[in-house]
Amino acid sequence: MSLTAESPQAASRPPGDALVVLDHVDKWFGDLHVLQDINLSIRRGEVVVVIGPSGSGKSTLCRTVNRLETIDSGTISLDGRPLPAEGKELARLRAEVGMVFQSFNLFAHKSILENVTLGPVKVRGVPKAEAEEKARRLLDRVGVGAQASKYPAQLSGGQQQRVAIARALAMEPKVMLFDEPTSALDPEMIKEVLDVMVDLARGGMTMVVVTHEMGFARTAANRVVFMSDGQIVEENEPETFFTDPRSDRAKDFLGKILKH
Amino acid sequence: MDWLADGYGLVLRAFLLTIELGVVAGVFSMLLGVLLAAARVGPVAVLAKAAATYVLVFRNTPLLMVFVFVFVALPKVDIPQLSFFAKGVLALTLYTSAFVCEAVRSGVNSVPLGQAEAARAVGLTFGQTMQEVVLPQAMRAALPPLASVLIALMKNTSVAAAFGLIEATARMRFFTNDNADVRTVIFLVFAIGYVVIVELMSAGAFTLERRWRVAR
Amino acid sequence: MRFTRSRTLLAAAGLTLAGALSACGNAGGSDSESTDVNVEENAADSFEDGTRMKELAQDGKITIGVKYDQPGIGFKGAADDAPTGLDPEMGRILAASLGIDDQDITWKETISDNREPFLQKGEVDLVIASYSITDERRQIVGQAGPYYVTGQQLLVKKGSDIKGPDDVKGKSVCSVTGSTSLEQIEAKGAKARGFDTYSECRDQLLDGSVDAATTDGAILLGYAAEDPDNLEVVGPTFSEERYGIGYSKDSPEMCQWIVDTLKKAEDDGTWDKAFEATLGKSGVDTPTPPEMDACPSS
Ligand SMILES: Nc1ncnc2c1ncn2[C@@H]1O[C@H](COP(=O)(O)OP(=O)(O)O)[C@@H](O)[C@H]1O
Ligand SMILES: [Mg+2]
Repeated sequence: MSLTAESPQAASRPPGDALVVLDHVDKWFGDLHVLQDINLSIRRGEVVVVIGPSGSGKSTLCRTVNRLETIDSGTISLDGRPLPAEGKELARLRAEVGMVFQSFNLFAHKSILENVTLGPVKVRGVPKAEAEEKARRLLDRVGVGAQASKYPAQLSGGQQQRVAIARALAMEPKVMLFDEPTSALDPEMIKEVLDVMVDLARGGMTMVVVTHEMGFARTAANRVVFMSDGQIVEENEPETFFTDPRSDRAKDFLGKILKH
Repeated sequence: MDWLADGYGLVLRAFLLTIELGVVAGVFSMLLGVLLAAARVGPVAVLAKAAATYVLVFRNTPLLMVFVFVFVALPKVDIPQLSFFAKGVLALTLYTSAFVCEAVRSGVNSVPLGQAEAARAVGLTFGQTMQEVVLPQAMRAALPPLASVLIALMKNTSVAAAFGLIEATARMRFFTNDNADVRTVIFLVFAIGYVVIVELMSAGAFTLERRWRVAR
Repeated sequence: MRFTRSRTLLAAAGLTLAGALSACGNAGGSDSESTDVNVEENAADSFEDGTRMKELAQDGKITIGVKYDQPGIGFKGAADDAPTGLDPEMGRILAASLGIDDQDITWKETISDNREPFLQKGEVDLVIASYSITDERRQIVGQAGPYYVTGQQLLVKKGSDIKGPDDVKGKSVCSVTGSTSLEQIEAKGAKARGFDTYSECRDQLLDGSVDAATTDGAILLGYAAEDPDNLEVVGPTFSEERYGIGYSKDSPEMCQWIVDTLKKAEDDGTWDKAFEATLGKSGVDTPTPPEMDACPSS
């Protein structure tokens, strides 16, 4: 099946209600003010691309949304409820937020199938057979169904990242976070992963994607958020942002990445 | 070899006790050691501190002293009397679990942080993350040092010879006492017994190591 | 003078007393806590050339292996200069016959396991360490004697159910790991509990971890005498331990010298004095010295 999106129709979806809301969020790493008064609201079904120089706080922003990083002040809420602080509640929240890492982080000792079923079985209590059936469907959907019994190390980077997406999807998350999902991939594998992501976006998944892939942003994003030095400097719809950035920092940044 | 012909039943029984001590203390050491390691790497500061202190104490105390503590000091406090076997297992476990903890901890540290993060991101609790993702991988990395720890434990059971347990080393001393003329032979027979047990353990560890390596 | 039935608080003082009271111009003026023995002068002359005795007498030094952990038999406290007990007394008697003073005796602690190696490697000249004579041992070392015969008994807490060797079935009984005593109590159906030293056994008995301790009666009497309110020796002896003096098979001529020297000590009352000053303090009567075995014709 083809997952390639030809038209930027995602951008024309009608906006839903606010699903993820960051309100005056601040975070420090010691003396480093890594997130500075972040206000960001992501609507249901919206695809937001986060872009910005290295070290600007994009990953940290992503990780605060499922509380892999704590925040020092402000609030983050998911679907109207503030993020729980710890324990079972927090685990339940994380199950509702899918996360895809730059370095895949597939469970090295588990087969591809087990990677995808672990969460549903252990967290949601889904019966094993049911979880496996669904896992196979998801693996087929991302194009790695034939690898189900292999181990992560036996797969290419692109295949591993698609498994990681299937693993996150298996939890039926309300929102998916992608932290530079294609940065660790060889160029020929980037497309196969982006295609899966575009397909997801089209399917109406709410997504926060840290990436420098402008093609993806143009194709699938409703909005681009530009971060620099821990601040959200500028946000706009993709086309406008890429062709007519307002801030100097964005201009400067775009000038640098477009040269390459 | 008259002594062996007459006494091979005793020799076997003694090695059986050696193996029982090693296996039972081994199981308890693994359980306690893994719990200690989980406590050390876990998020609860008090537990981490307590586990670290435990390791500090028992890893740095000579095994003989642990035995003296269990056999001489413990009976003086008012707790239910343990059997000799239980005391032997207790002493060996107190000591060995500290080493198991460190071997497992080094294994845990060798598991990339991303593995635990991915597990947490999927919604696993800390316990599930440890049990399902971190520890299985940590154990693989820790297998060679763990095998050394358990082999050392099997040989360390001989300290029990001086604490009321007639295991292999104690039995050897009966035979050497009675048969002064063939001491070297007796020593060799018992040494071979230990070598066989330890070699079997090494072979087991090696097989596991190879099987697990394929799985990665 | 006899210390028979005397109570143990006097024991330590008694040792010194025994030495002091019986002093009569002891050559070398040693103040060690021991019975008086007459050190032979010009002893070397009385031995044939080529014998080990001649060498020792000429050197004027001897090394003797004894136990350090058996009160009454061979014991040396941390603060003591020299071991005390029946075994060291025998050593002094033998050394004296070679013209060797107390201060020229080197005492070396031996444990049960290293008695033969010490003799074989020449690390000691004699082993006098509650060393029961057995046929197996006589195959690799020489054993002259016996100079004392005792038997295995049981030490229990006062008022124990165990009244003798027939009551030990299924009970935990402590002795030294690898010792004949432990093996014999095991044969009687007891759970054998081996420890490194007899004093550890006594501690196990006192804290209730074992039901009895067992070894040669002489040793047990020593412990009972130290703690008469809590401990007692019960039952008849159920083995015969014949203490001999170990020497190297390289010097078979030593046997006859040992036997002759001890015989003389028995005849002139020195043996009695040695016993009274040591084991006799635990309250036992001084026994008649045992008949000694003939030396093997070499
Ligand atoms: N765990 C941490 N401890 C301390 N500093 C950190 C930590 N993680 C990230 N940082 C710092 O925070 C800043 C932002 O990091 P990050 O969010 O990873 O940026 P980006 O993803 O935009 O490259 C960087 O300067 C980085 O060095
Ligand atoms: Mg980053």
